[in-house]
Amino acid sequence: MRHDARSGRAAARLALVLAGLASAGLASALEWPLDAARPPATFGTPARGRFVAGIALASDAALVRAAGEGELVYFRDDPGAATRLPSTLGSFAVVEHERGLAGVYAGLAPGSVSSYLGKVKGGQILGAAGASGWTEGAGLFFSLYDRGAARWVNPYLLLPRLKDVTPPNIRSAALVREGKSYVLGETKSVRQGGYAIAVDIADPLDAPWSAGAPAPFYVRLVVDGAKIAELRYDIAEGRKGSLFLFPEAPRSREAYLAPDGRAILAERTFTRGRSTIEILVRDFAGNERAATWVVGVE
Amino acid sequence: MEEIGKRRLAAAAIALAGIAYFFACARPLPKTLVLAPGWARALPAAALSAAPAAAPSGAAAPMVIDDRSVATLETKAGPGSTGFDKGASGFPYALAGRYGYFDAQGLIASADAAPFGLAQSKGAYIAYDRLPESLSLRSAGGAELARITEPGYPFFAAGRLFLLRPGQASVAEIGPDGAALWSRDFPSIVTAFDASEELALFGLMDGSLVGVGPKGAELLSFSPGGSRIAGIYGCAVSPDGEMVAAVSGLDRQRLVVLERRSAAYRVTYHRWLESDYRRPVAMAFTGDGSYLAYESPTGLGLYDRAARREASLSAARLASVGEYLADRGLLLLLEGGGAEKGVLIASPAGRRLFTAPFTASEAFVSRSGDAVFLGIAEGGGAASILRMDLKEE
Repeated sequence: MRHDARSGRAAARLALVLAGLASAGLASALEWPLDAARPPATFGTPARGRFVAGIALASDAALVRAAGEGELVYFRDDPGAATRLPSTLGSFAVVEHERGLAGVYAGLAPGSVSSYLGKVKGGQILGAAGASGWTEGAGLFFSLYDRGAARWVNPYLLLPRLKDVTPPNIRSAALVREGKSYVLGETKSVRQGGYAIAVDIADPLDAPWSAGAPAPFYVRLVVDGAKIAELRYDIAEGRKGSLFLFPEAPRSREAYLAPDGRAILAERTFTRGRSTIEILVRDFAGNERAATWVVGVE
Repeated sequence: MEEIGKRRLAAAAIALAGIAYFFACARPLPKTLVLAPGWARALPAAALSAAPAAAPSGAAAPMVIDDRSVATLETKAGPGSTGFDKGASGFPYALAGRYGYFDAQGLIASADAAPFGLAQSKGAYIAYDRLPESLSLRSAGGAELARITEPGYPFFAAGRLFLLRPGQASVAEIGPDGAALWSRDFPSIVTAFDASEELALFGLMDGSLVGVGPKGAELLSFSPGGSRIAGIYGCAVSPDGEMVAAVSGLDRQRLVVLERRSAAYRVTYHRWLESDYRRPVAMAFTGDGSYLAYESPTGLGLYDRAARREASLSAARLASVGEYLADRGLLLLLEGGGAEKGVLIASPAGRRLFTAPFTASEAFVSRSGDAVFLGIAEGGGAASILRMDLKEE
């Protein structure tokens, strides 16, 4: 019940932010901070046991521009910065956009941050695309933080849509028990009992970066006609020392990501007979792919 | 004749009185604080070219310059007190693209080419690439202590080792075996950090301060607030963990000091600042926790913990917040943002007592007791470490 109330507030808050940004005359609220951007990792992409809470953008464009109007509230662009804290974001700038939504522009070329800025106009140059900090390949790592609600928002929600007609891929799905993986489509039957349902899904916007393939935007799992899980990659928030995806049905990183990087959609107990497992995946452009498997349970 | 005798007698009396005054009432002239030259050692340039470690993940051992000194680093009990620094007696340096350790007698124990990143304490170090597959934790003498397989950049504080994960919003403390002692995801990116033996303090972009205990429990959660834009730009924790401080917010920026009262931290001092820093702000408590020093547009702000009042020290841009010479009650600082730098000794009341200007492209200052070590890079790869001794003359 607490989760329900909280997720209701979460959805309302997000709707308010999005509506506010849209009503501010920003058709898609924000503009792409990098021209001709190709996103090799998106919100929710697994990356070495964690998930990405923003989007990585690979681009040949040299300049990183403010995605919207705002104010430069923080930057870091000095290897000898006055702190012993390293910077996995490399050289970066934080611009407070409308209604407490802060854009984090990270992985910039060292020494390129326009640190003299105060108020920022949309499209104003913030720095040069680079490969500083923990970023794989040259470009920009862009994330959006909703300061009012203390959560990360999928930048896709506020950026112009990319042209995309290719549906996401379901690379594999498996039932996992005690470290053993039973790949659906290859396994005819399993023993009855509890299993994790793990999937490897990627949106085929291929890129050379090794952070992982782009995540989908929506996944639905149906087992024997009953909807077991419905995941939307829209928000992540830190609570009690852990980062949670999917506020509607909160999943911590540990609960969501298997050690091999696959997404755990749900835990399910299978009883004797035959079970039908259906997975529907949708990307942000609305392209869908569905797959169904039937497995015997002994 | 009688008149002459009286005059002689009076002169003798005055002379005697002068002599008596000299012995009985004389006061010594005030002593002047000086930094007396000790030794000077050039960092070996050969080590730079021959160094093996810029190798990925810092996997290779550092080039040993002086075996005697390595042995000293590994075995001698010294000023380090806790965690990874326990028993360490060497002094770390990172200068002119090289890093290593030296001892108080001027033996340069090692000099290796600095890779992308370096986490270094008195007792251990990790040299790493931008995207390391794993991290090699080494003792000051170069022996591998453990490997860390989690992704992230390491950093030491108060003899403790931490790992900042990709994304800047997740931190783990790492134990001697290379495994995480605790781990924490923050709701926002981490913008400031400091630690004592008992408290790791994190400042976040969302304007909150979070204090974490040695086992990962949250001991402090506080948002200074009051500014148009929230944010933590610098934070500090006293060595005993009893006090924390932060520079927070924009429009206006604010200094906040909290003290632990039984189980909770409470605000005991705050002041609106003239500064408008939008970058990390340097701040630290002195070694004995008596004073808080923090960067200000005109030099250094100094908060007196006992008196709960502030003083300011006028200085050129501070290259480091500095060390505290506790037994002398003085601050040792490095000032100067460009090539013109200087060692500055000042009182916590904000009085400049001694300055030693020099020209260097890069410099560091550290100390042990009255021994002050100054590292100077002069450009072109040439670099030296000098020892000076603080004396009163």
